[in-house]
Amino acid sequence: MNNKKNIILEEYENEFSYKKSKTNLDIQFNRIAFIFFVFLMISVIYSIQLLHLGSLKAENNKEFLTINKNHRADILDRNGNYLVKTVKSIDIGINPIEVIDKKKLLINLQLIFPDKNYAEITKKLKKNKFFYFEKKISSDNYEKIMLLGDKSIKSEEKLTRIYPQKNLFSHIIGQIDDDNKGISGLEKSFNEKLKQTNEPLKLTVDTDIQFLIREELVKFQSIFRSKGSTAILMNVNNGEIISMVSYPDFDLNKREKIVDVNFINRATKGVYELGSVFKTFTVAAGLEEGLIDTDTEFLNLEKKLQCGKSSISEYDNKIPSDLTVEQILIRSGNIGSVRIGQKLEIIKLKAFLEKIGILSKINFDIEEVGEPIPFKWGKCKLATVSFGHGIATTPLQLAKAYAIISNGGFDVEPSLIKSELKKNQKKKRIIKAGISEKINPILRKIVTTKEGTAGLVNIEGYEVGGKTGTAQKTIVGGYSKAKVNTFAGIFPASNPKYVLIVLLDEPKTSSDYIYEYKNKKGSYKGTPFNTAGWTSVEVAGKIIETIGPILATKYIEN
Amino acid sequence: MKQLVLVVILVLILITSLVKNSTKEIEDQIFVINENTRPLKSELEDVLLEFNYLSSPEKLVQYQTQYFEKDLIKIEIMNIKEIIENNETLEINDLISKNSNE
Repeated sequence: MNNKKNIILEEYENEFSYKKSKTNLDIQFNRIAFIFFVFLMISVIYSIQLLHLGSLKAENNKEFLTINKNHRADILDRNGNYLVKTVKSIDIGINPIEVIDKKKLLINLQLIFPDKNYAEITKKLKKNKFFYFEKKISSDNYEKIMLLGDKSIKSEEKLTRIYPQKNLFSHIIGQIDDDNKGISGLEKSFNEKLKQTNEPLKLTVDTDIQFLIREELVKFQSIFRSKGSTAILMNVNNGEIISMVSYPDFDLNKREKIVDVNFINRATKGVYELGSVFKTFTVAAGLEEGLIDTDTEFLNLEKKLQCGKSSISEYDNKIPSDLTVEQILIRSGNIGSVRIGQKLEIIKLKAFLEKIGILSKINFDIEEVGEPIPFKWGKCKLATVSFGHGIATTPLQLAKAYAIISNGGFDVEPSLIKSELKKNQKKKRIIKAGISEKINPILRKIVTTKEGTAGLVNIEGYEVGGKTGTAQKTIVGGYSKAKVNTFAGIFPASNPKYVLIVLLDEPKTSSDYIYEYKNKKGSYKGTPFNTAGWTSVEVAGKIIETIGPILATKYIEN
Repeated sequence: MKQLVLVVILVLILITSLVKNSTKEIEDQIFVINENTRPLKSELEDVLLEFNYLSSPEKLVQYQTQYFEKDLIKIEIMNIKEIIENNETLEINDLISKNSNE
């Protein structure tokens, strides 16, 4: 049998054969084009990036600074003197694990630093733990140690803030912590700006004037044995603070942790009842409202007033019963001020005090700012506020208010930062024209007349005007015997340029101090009364006598 | 068409490398200048810091008591004069007018 099975393979060309694409698309070309397209896109992006980098200016590199932890801008005074300077220092450490030849390394180190304790260093090397070999190394020794080329020697760049003026600006500048973060003063409020900018921060303060004012405060601290003191010198027209001293202060270079409350910034953080310096505001409010004029008479003024449980009396029993508004301010009459306050009524006096920035917290360049103590207005409160009792605020706010009242009624914002923008800002009048022209001569008479309480500040050539304030310090449930003596002065009174506030916290009388009279010949030994007129006015007089020539000559065009 | 695309790509690559080269040169120059001025700036700042420290009011008062105790005198403001240049003539006035104090 021939059963042959033949397997026939048939070609089914139509069903399985590979066919070239029938479309006209050239795949090979498209691949090449696609690759070139990708290259083209990369080239375009790269070119754009190059052009973008080329257009960047050097000063626009701020974004790079934000990541630089070791950067902090310097701080200068108004004359370009360094108040704070950042210095980069290098610490040298050794990682013993990476040391190849310990003996050789020790010999080399001994050649560069012969005075070190090498027994101690040998011990540290054996421990195999990283340790600092030399902190704040000099540039010469840094070069020498790095030339050793030992991998175990590690250099670490650190930031150091140097304060060449030591204590002078301690409250203004403030401190930073070990992580380059501001913890007080301008270092805190301008923390981000100082880290991000290369430009130094320029302040309005003058180092020379700050020094001279501080010297006077230090001197009188020992004479009047006060707990502390503060002085503010401010330009009445633009609010630039030329000097702001709060004593006691501290040396910023020592980087001490300050916990004692006596070291607070009394100028901005201290909230005090300031007494009769507020009478100027009561009179100014009365003039503003048109309820009184400087020659308005108040007749048959009592010597004592009863208000609830407390009584209000005159400090000077010899004060006449009939007084004009001008005389009330010059002689610092309590009852007369109460009468003006009563004419004003709560709404008007409160509105005026709010307008000149006494009642609310001030917006300032540093965060250490005190908040005026809130209180409930009533008939008795109106009476006490009229002569400056039962109301508390900060010396900085007092400076601002006196600046507004004396500069023609224009609003000012106290500032520590020198700004060209502020120069061109249009001033906003918040008190009627003509009020300053009426108040300033009265403030001058407080200094020049024998009835006035501030004769000791009448320094020839400076036309000083001002008001004194003696207030007892408040304690829980009443008042203590300790006092806060304040002088708020302006000069020259005919066209005020500066406001000077001097506050002594708990001063005592001095039996040895010799006063030189200014309005008459002669001198007087010992402090007769613990009042502002015999304490803070004397300090203010000495301050103006010392800084006056600088202000009159250096600031002649300012 | 293919040739045109290739030419465009090549031209772009050429321009890109030229731009990169030229900016690289400028960058190098800037780098060199920056590196040269950096120590000078740092030196200037250090000198200024030293000057500020040595001429600080505290130091000046110290020098005064140390070296010039008798030579330096305080001038009263009323004795300070002001020189005013007025049409080729010099006028000398009191800085603070005597009658300005009432």
